[in-house]
Amino acid sequence: MRRYVAGRLLQATIVVLLVTTLTFVLVHLAPGDPITALLDKPGVTEEVRQQWRASLGLDRPVGEQYLRWVSNTMRGDLGYSIKYRRPVADVIADALPRTLLLVGLALTLSFALGIIVAVLQAERPGGARDRWLGRVFLVLYSVPDFWLALVVLLVFAYRLPILPSGGIVEPVTHDFLPLAERILDRLQHLVLPVGTLTLLATAAISRHQRSALLEVMPSDWMRTAIAKGLSRRRAVRRHALRNALLPSITLAGLYLPALVTGALLIEKVFSWPGMGLLAADAIPSSDYLLITAVVLVTSIAVAIGALVADLATALADPRIRVD
Amino acid sequence: MIQKPRSFRPHAARWTHVALAGLVLAGCRDVQKQPAVAGPNDVGGTLVATQPAEPGTLLPPLISTSIERQITDLLYDRLADIGDDLNTVGDRGFKKQLAAGWEWAPDSLSIVFHIDPRARWHDGVPVRASDVRYSVALMKDPALGSPGLPLITNIDSVAVRDSLTAVAYFKRHTPEQFYDLVYQVSIVPEHILHNTPAAQLKTADVARHGVGSGRFRLSKWEPGKRIELLADTANYRGRPKLDRIVYVPTPDFNSAVTRFFAGDADFFEQLRPEHIAKIASDTARRAITYPNLGYAYLALNNVDAKQPGQPHPIFSDRAVRRALTMAVDRRAMLKNVFGTYGMPLYGPFPHALPVADTTLPQLPYDTVRARALLDSAGWLVGPDGVRSRNGQRLEFGITTPVSSAARKQYAVLLQDAFKRVGAAARIDEMDNAAFTSKNTDRGFDTSIELYQTDPSPSGFKQSWSTSGLGKDGSNFASYSNPAVDALLDSATLTFDPSRTRAYARRAFEMIMEDAPGIWLYEPPTVAGVHKRIHTTAMRADGYWSGMADWWIPAAERTARDRIGLRPAP
Repeated sequence: MRRYVAGRLLQATIVVLLVTTLTFVLVHLAPGDPITALLDKPGVTEEVRQQWRASLGLDRPVGEQYLRWVSNTMRGDLGYSIKYRRPVADVIADALPRTLLLVGLALTLSFALGIIVAVLQAERPGGARDRWLGRVFLVLYSVPDFWLALVVLLVFAYRLPILPSGGIVEPVTHDFLPLAERILDRLQHLVLPVGTLTLLATAAISRHQRSALLEVMPSDWMRTAIAKGLSRRRAVRRHALRNALLPSITLAGLYLPALVTGALLIEKVFSWPGMGLLAADAIPSSDYLLITAVVLVTSIAVAIGALVADLATALADPRIRVD
Repeated sequence: MIQKPRSFRPHAARWTHVALAGLVLAGCRDVQKQPAVAGPNDVGGTLVATQPAEPGTLLPPLISTSIERQITDLLYDRLADIGDDLNTVGDRGFKKQLAAGWEWAPDSLSIVFHIDPRARWHDGVPVRASDVRYSVALMKDPALGSPGLPLITNIDSVAVRDSLTAVAYFKRHTPEQFYDLVYQVSIVPEHILHNTPAAQLKTADVARHGVGSGRFRLSKWEPGKRIELLADTANYRGRPKLDRIVYVPTPDFNSAVTRFFAGDADFFEQLRPEHIAKIASDTARRAITYPNLGYAYLALNNVDAKQPGQPHPIFSDRAVRRALTMAVDRRAMLKNVFGTYGMPLYGPFPHALPVADTTLPQLPYDTVRARALLDSAGWLVGPDGVRSRNGQRLEFGITTPVSSAARKQYAVLLQDAFKRVGAAARIDEMDNAAFTSKNTDRGFDTSIELYQTDPSPSGFKQSWSTSGLGKDGSNFASYSNPAVDALLDSATLTFDPSRTRAYARRAFEMIMEDAPGIWLYEPPTVAGVHKRIHTTAMRADGYWSGMADWWIPAAERTARDRIGLRPAP
């Protein structure tokens, strides 16, 4: 097991290095540069732009910039964000906890809800409940995330103004509220983005989980359990579910990177200043180091997510050996 | 007046609305007839403005974006501010800020500024003449790389005569030397910045502290969440009427609009036509049209994008440029894109400028004449309906940024208009970085430019004279006409405003005859504002110039207006 994990970590390191190298080169090859984008106003001379490039080291050859970036990154210095005019590490340190909260909450709810929905459907496959839940979640599975987010925003923040339209907290009054109301304010701001993300992820999880449950239903041990007098509902919940959890564990591993990458469009629609929004802002500004840092964090999360999923699957299913 | 804060339940209160079915729209609120002027009790309240981005820096010599300028204009004062008529010649109309007065030297090569002894930085330290000297020296320091550096090259230096007297020296006596100094240079605190070398200020944290002498001071900046400005109650120019302004970044346009209409923001600076129609029936919000200095035109590149320095195979021909201009029904396009809110562009200038002349003769919309002109210039219609001359097809690209809905619409309409006279245009949509890069390199055939000029006539030299041809200039069409150069030079060198207008008028007339661009529109700048906010007159170079005098009648305040000036715990 240790050798396996060490091997996977080595593989992950190589993948992360390749991905970030590729990103670094590609963003530098793309047309435009961050200084041209930043100083795109009348009267700014090329001399001034060149001064900025020189002072930020952007006038050096790409190879040299890359080596410096690698060297600095090894020391924990991710460089300087030109768009935000702050150290990249500080910008990410602000955004990451917000995304962890948003996506972490949404994924927890999604897996809980997705499994419950799947169980409800699998108890009576083809029945009215299965059909209706299947239709509802098929629709949710099919709609684009930004569209659902905008609809939710319009309905609950504008038509029925019962929830805030965006942001993390009420921008003016939050700090003046008593503790309990501050918590309530924060929760209210979470409802729409978390709700939207939860609906979208639940649709995917419930479909996978339902299929897995239906696969194990014809098993001999299930027939035995029912023959012994266990109701179909209890048999599904006690026996089938445990044996059908593998797809959800795999999915959890695949969703894990979203904890740090965020949900770009959801964050944008609900003005949630997390990692997704950061990436969305960094790309049009050609903010080289911020883009590369976001990709670095993302690729590490993907590698860890895949590893965790494999290990969890192995732990859950004794038939699978990881070594 | 500082009021005891109440317990706020901003959204909890809204849950009750659900139970009260039918009373759901936030618009059904108290809107009273607006008093014309603020009363003594009308001091206080909070304005929440939603903005698409947040600033990167709050140090005036380093600013480059609109939001940075807006916030720094509120935080920092200048020696004097430009007048409402935007005159840039001499000192006529300029309003005192940090300078309580000024005197011109007999040779006009220096101006003595007397600093208002009451002026204080937000940390309580008095503003001194040495701050003026430091501000100019900092902006002129090449190590800083100030984007505004090219605008103050005529300023030689500033000397300190005594703690409240600064003397500014100029290299040449020019009509705009006063404007160059007082408009382009915001005064920054030497005692806070002098320990940081200029070369390091771009990345220094101190550049985000925002300690100025303006009527608002920076209270809190939580990146991604909000920027809060509080009234500087002891300000030498008087306390602002609002207690606070809170900027909330909302990157998505639709989300920003929803935030405004849901009541979570009081001000949104860029409504689109569909929202303007909607706001007409809104009882709580209203639309305000404010002037601006932007203008949009289709630049017809005079140089070949593929072979820099060579004339463009199509657009170096004046007849083609004039014909294509006549092929475009600009009024119909304006109505198509902006409805009744569109503002026509009469030439290479926004109408709000003092030198603008909207009566200049225009090339008419006349497709018959356009076709005839192309025929006579040798561009003959081929079997596929596209004209050509000597093997060169009348085929070109229209470059436009993908982020601009209006310009994308215009690109389609222009493509259709050109097709009708036998020109095949393809639309090249690209992201902002690529668009800017193409602009800088003049790497396009035609490009829909949205250009923000400054109040000075010298801005036109950058855009339309030979001196603006290089990468440093904004002459995107690579247009060059020595007669226009001479007229624009004269316009910027005369001290008589009426002669400035006359020279500029003739220059504009010649540019319009040469048709290096097709004048499309002035961007309609319509802000949405909550009706309880009473605004003042808005200037074309920045609607926020009078924001410190915006006010909220005491009777119309909401919960967030009643917080007072108490800092957050």
